[in-house]
Parts: sequence; structure tokens; C-alpha cells
Amino acid sequence: MASFITSGLLVVIGLYGVFFVDNVLKKIIALEILGSGVNLALIAIGYNGGTIPIKLPNVPLNVFAKESAYPLTHALVLTNIVIEASMLAVMLGVSIILYKKYKTLKGSVILKED
Amino acid sequence: MNFLPMIIVFPLIMAIIMNLLHGKEKAVKYLTFATAIVLIALPFIGEYGYYYFSGHGVVDGWISGIAYLYNPAKQAVIITLSLIASLVLITGMGEKLKNNMFVTLSLMGFASISAIVLADDIFNLYVFFEIISIVQAGLVFLSGTEEAYKAGLRYMIIGSVAAALMLLGITFLLASTGTLNISDMKHHLLTDNPMVYGGLLLLIVGLAYGSGLPPFHNIKADLYARSKGFISAMLQTYSKFVLVGLMLIILKLFNGLSYFSSAHAVLIALGVLAMVFGVVMALLQSDYKKLLAYHAISQGGYVATGLALGTPLGIVAGIFHAINHVIYKSALFLGAYIVSCKRGSNLHKLGGLLPLMPYVAFMVLCAKLAISGVPPFNGFQSKWMLAEAAMQVNMPEIAIIMIIVSIGTFVSMMKAFYLIYLKPVDEETLKEYQGKEVPKLAVFSLFVLTALCIIIGLDPSLITNYLWDYAREIGVNYCLK
Repeated sequence: MASFITSGLLVVIGLYGVFFVDNVLKKIIALEILGSGVNLALIAIGYNGGTIPIKLPNVPLNVFAKESAYPLTHALVLTNIVIEASMLAVMLGVSIILYKKYKTLKGSVILKED
Repeated sequence: MNFLPMIIVFPLIMAIIMNLLHGKEKAVKYLTFATAIVLIALPFIGEYGYYYFSGHGVVDGWISGIAYLYNPAKQAVIITLSLIASLVLITGMGEKLKNNMFVTLSLMGFASISAIVLADDIFNLYVFFEIISIVQAGLVFLSGTEEAYKAGLRYMIIGSVAAALMLLGITFLLASTGTLNISDMKHHLLTDNPMVYGGLLLLIVGLAYGSGLPPFHNIKADLYARSKGFISAMLQTYSKFVLVGLMLIILKLFNGLSYFSSAHAVLIALGVLAMVFGVVMALLQSDYKKLLAYHAISQGGYVATGLALGTPLGIVAGIFHAINHVIYKSALFLGAYIVSCKRGSNLHKLGGLLPLMPYVAFMVLCAKLAISGVPPFNGFQSKWMLAEAAMQVNMPEIAIIMIIVSIGTFVSMMKAFYLIYLKPVDEETLKEYQGKEVPKLAVFSLFVLTALCIIIGLDPSLITNYLWDYAREIGVNYCLK
């Protein structure tokens, strides 16, 4: 239960940061927090008191399925971390380009629509 | 042996190879042409049916790998996608931009969209959903202007939020059903459960972001308007097919369940709002590409409404309209690209282009009539089907809104046509026009697309025959009192 509450808090903090903090760098950090909240929720639903879901070669498949935590969620979280990291890298790169142009990181300047 | 995964794997491999060929312009050019030819053949090599990687239902049905479902309806979508992709790649060959990056990103986009359309497991869908948002931002960055960077960054920040929320929705669905395979998940959704509502709602957030329905219509339209004309053609193709892919999955999972009716209403409302907002914003624009961008949003609303109706006829009409829209809107964006080679895309600075390019003007006029739903072009056929589908479920008000929006579309399209091709200009401007060349490859692509507009308009069964089987499978007939 504690992990669900934590993940809920992380998601709310992340959403607050993205929409109400006027700094692009802080927005991106908030996105990372939001992502971590979702990852934690994913891990938590897969946990059933079992062992770490790493299948060793000498363990048969049905024994592995009984003893370990649900492996699907772990695979999902790993994939999600990779995707998230690449998204953040691209966003940080673009914010550097825009910072060089405007000399500020304020969202109200950099992200302004015209 | 089933070669279905080649639809996704081949473009990804080619994208990596193109990326390695940095700076070798000639090699990139030839390879791009070869790839564009192969892309057209790709939809025909797969066999229909389910395709599982790394097994399915390994232990008590709990562990299952990536799954794809291929059927005639999805084949029709992928044929259109590959056609547009290869035409855009061929058009891009004549353009001196950072060439291999454009090809790389377009191919990655092609792979992701085909994966989203084919996907029969939700996580695979999510992965490619994230990739497509990076690809779209990257394609916009290619135009290199400061506005493009701003639009791209905005899109990515909102995109990360929407994608994280969509993943949370997938988490809810996984928690309440225990599987990610869509065909299996359907059996676990029969009883209603608050967690499933949350999952459905968050999936709809992802759908609205991926396809530019409200409240995300502004950032999406900005994205189309800031990139080069032929790249916008690619971008709007991507978002229409994301809409079709995700909507088909939502319908497959929930259509016909008793608790789906309220979500149903939300989806229809989103579609109608997109239609109206798009066309109203388009009427206000003075920039040609922005005008087209808002029309893309508005037509996306048509597609969403048709699919959201959930009847077999509505689903067929929705997919058919998506295919038609992608064809004529790509033609219009290519027309905008040809015009912008002469003199930008500000409507008030253009004019008098008709004597210089009469054939292009004629083809663009055909596409404009198609988007406004004038017979005998393809837009008429699908809009007619959409209105019919709305009448069939006893919602005539939606049909009326569709017709009014069509009239708005016609007005703004004809305004743009006058301002670009017919408005008289002075001698100096004419001289300036004559100094600049028309990109020939773009004219070729425009010709192919216009021909398709007319052919499909004369015989809509060419496409609809592909769609009926799947629509009957996931559609539910009903009628409001």
C-alpha cells in the first residue's frame, strides 16, 4: 500500500511541476518525477512476495513462474526507463539551443506561442 | 513462414543504415529511392492472422510476448501509409536538407505507425507511441528555425505527460486484468471495476494527444505549421493513423460493454469539438500552412466521430475517411510546399500563381474540392458515409454539424485558392516568381495523390471492401431512441 501512496504522490508532484513551475529545466525534472511515479506503480502491482524475476538457465519455466514476482511489469519498467531517458535527453538538448538564443530558461518566454 | 514483422523491422534497419551514411549524399539518395520502392511492396508480404513473438500464454496464460494482428482493414491502412511515406521520401530527395536525418526519422515514423496499427498488445503500442512523439518532434526540428524548436519542445513536454498518464492507464488495465494482450484482456473486462474506468480514461488522454483532438489541438497544429510542407504531409499522416490504431484498440476492448456508453459520449464529444474548433481556427488564419494544419485537426474530428459511433458503418466510414483525408491533405501540403518554394506561405503576400503553374493549380483545386466534400472526389464518399452512420444511430445533429463544418472548410479553402492563384499581382512579383524553380518531384507526388483522389471518389469499394469484415467483428449495432 505504501508504494501506491508514494507513487500517487510522485505523480501529483510531477503534474504540479510540469504545469505550474515556470522554468523549463524544472519542468523536465518534474517529468522525470512523474515517470518515476508511474514506474513505481507498475513495479508495485507486479509484486506478490516472490523473488527477483531473473530466470536462471537451470530453473524450469513453471517453477520460475511460481516463485518469482510477476516478470512482465519489470520488463515494462526497463523499457520505459530507456524510452524516458531518450526523451529527456532530446528535450534537454533543445532547451540548451533555446537558452543560447534567449539567455533565459523561463517557460513563459521559451515556450510562448505566437 | 510469415514475413509480417518485416513491415516494422525493415524500415527500422534502413533507418539505422541511413544514419550511418552521414555525409554520403549520393549513396543516401539511391538508397532512399530503393527504400521508397520496397515500402510499397511491404504491406503485401505478410499473412493475415495473429502473430506472436516469443510465445503466447507460456505459463497459465500469464506471460506473453509481443503480438500483432493483421487483417484486410489494417492492410488497407498500411498500404496508404506506405504509399504516402514513399511519395514523401521521393519528394524529399529533391530537397537539400540534412538529408539522411529526414530519411531516418521518416522511416522510424513509418515503423512506429505500422506497429501501432498492427499491435495486439498494449505495451508494444505504448513503446511505439513514445517513439512516434520523438520522431515527430525531430522532423519539426529539421526545419531548423527557432519557432520549430519551440513548437517541438512544447510538443515533447506535453507529450511526456500524456505518455506517462497513458502508461498509468495501462498499469490500471494490467492490474485489473493481469494481461497486456488485447484479445485476452477483452475476456477480463466484462465486470465493471473502477480501476478499468481509470485505465480507459487515461487511454483516451493518450489518444487525444496522439491524434491532436482537443485539448491538444493547438500544439499539434503548431507542429504541422512549423515544418516544411512535405514533412507536414508525413506528420499529419502519422497522427491520423495513430488515431485509427488507438481507436480500434479501444473499440475492440470496450465496445458493447454496458459501462462503455459514457466513454462513448466523451469520444464523440471530443470528435465534434475537434471538428468545430479546427474549422473555426482555420477560418481565422492568414498563414497557408497554419490554415491547412487546423483543417487537419478538423478532419481528424470527423474520423474520431465516425469511429466513436462504434457501429460497423461508423467504423468503416471512420477508417475510410482517415485514408481519404491522408491522401488529399498530403496533396494540399505538397501544394503548399510548391508554393512556398516561390514565396513563403503568408497568404497576403502571395497571388497570381495560376499562369505560372496551371497544372499544379488544377490538382490543388481537385484536392480542395475533395476536402470540402464535393462529388465526385473521395472526400464526398466518406463524408456521406459518416453522415449516414450518424443518422443510422439516430443522431442527426452530428450529421448536421458535419455538413456545416464542410461548408466552413469549403469557404476557407476557396479563400486560400483565390489569394494564392487568382489574386492579381504587379510585374515585380511576377519576375521574382520566375526566378525560382518548381520542385519537379513534388509535382509528381501531387499528381499521384490527385489521381488517387479521383479514382477512389469514383469507386469507393476499392477501399471499403477491405474494411467491412473487421468493422463487423468489433462494431455493435444500436439505435438511440
